[in-house]
Amino acid sequence: MRRTNKIPAVLAAIGFVLMFAAPIWAAQLKSPDDVKTALKLLVQVSNDFKRQIGNKNFARVPHEYMEYTEAADALRSAIKNEPADFKARVETRLKAAVTAYQKISDMSVNATDADKLMAEHNKAVTAMNAVFDLFPADFRPDPNLPPPGRGGRGAKKN
Amino acid sequence: MTSFNDLLRASLSRRHLVFGSLTLPLTLLGCGGRRTSEEGVVDLFIQSDGDFLAFKPDELTCTAGALVHLTFHHAGRFLSALHNWVLAYPDQMEAVDKDAEKTDGIISANDSRVIAVVPMCGKGETVMTEFTAPPPGDYPFFCSTPGHAVDMNGILHVTV
Repeated sequence: MRRTNKIPAVLAAIGFVLMFAAPIWAAQLKSPDDVKTALKLLVQVSNDFKRQIGNKNFARVPHEYMEYTEAADALRSAIKNEPADFKARVETRLKAAVTAYQKISDMSVNATDADKLMAEHNKAVTAMNAVFDLFPADFRPDPNLPPPGRGGRGAKKN
Repeated sequence: MTSFNDLLRASLSRRHLVFGSLTLPLTLLGCGGRRTSEEGVVDLFIQSDGDFLAFKPDELTCTAGALVHLTFHHAGRFLSALHNWVLAYPDQMEAVDKDAEKTDGIISANDSRVIAVVPMCGKGETVMTEFTAPPPGDYPFFCSTPGHAVDMNGILHVTV
């Protein structure tokens, strides 16, 4: 009886250790600068999606999707030398994020309602944040802020 | 007969020459991409901040009436986004940018609100334009690809 009580506790302990193992792998990334750049690019393109939807410039949305896949490829390239387990975890979540942005692109072809696309965009951002969760906190760009170094001297900000 | 001191001096001179030629481009970049090649002619260099929506540098300076040779380099590596460099008269940037949304970012060089424009280019490409610097003042420049100008812009300071 006592033994069966211990099994869940041991499993919980293993899970607890594994939960912290992923960020430790990530903290020792082999190409940290490339990873940071790729994550920022994902946010940048996601923000561009939002901007095109807000401006009802739906014709540009499929192009933004193409750029999103390119940013996703940049992330794949940045982690190509990481352990297979970590890459697999990233790939699973990245695929889900890309699929979410593809849905917006597909919907934009016949879109007239910006609110519907914006609702899908919110879901896509959630999927993208799930990718970011696999990386150390200081690697994760804030989806609500532009990446550092962006301009903005001559224009009024949206 | 050549003394050791002569050899040392010649060697140092060569080193200075090599060092100077290597550091000149860096010095130019440090000066905001500005180089005066001859009287009344200014060479400016500007590039995209890699794949990010920003110009590097985002401020340029030249003197009024100078013939400006501007080189723009698309420094992106990953994204297929096109960029260009458009110099507009003060307070005209937003209007020009809005109109450019209808033409996929293409702006006519004959647009009276625009002083200079370089063609759209893809990652790794470099394009140039030439224009006469307008009267003293601050002039906005931006990328006219739809959606880019809000982040990808800067100021050309034209001095007396």
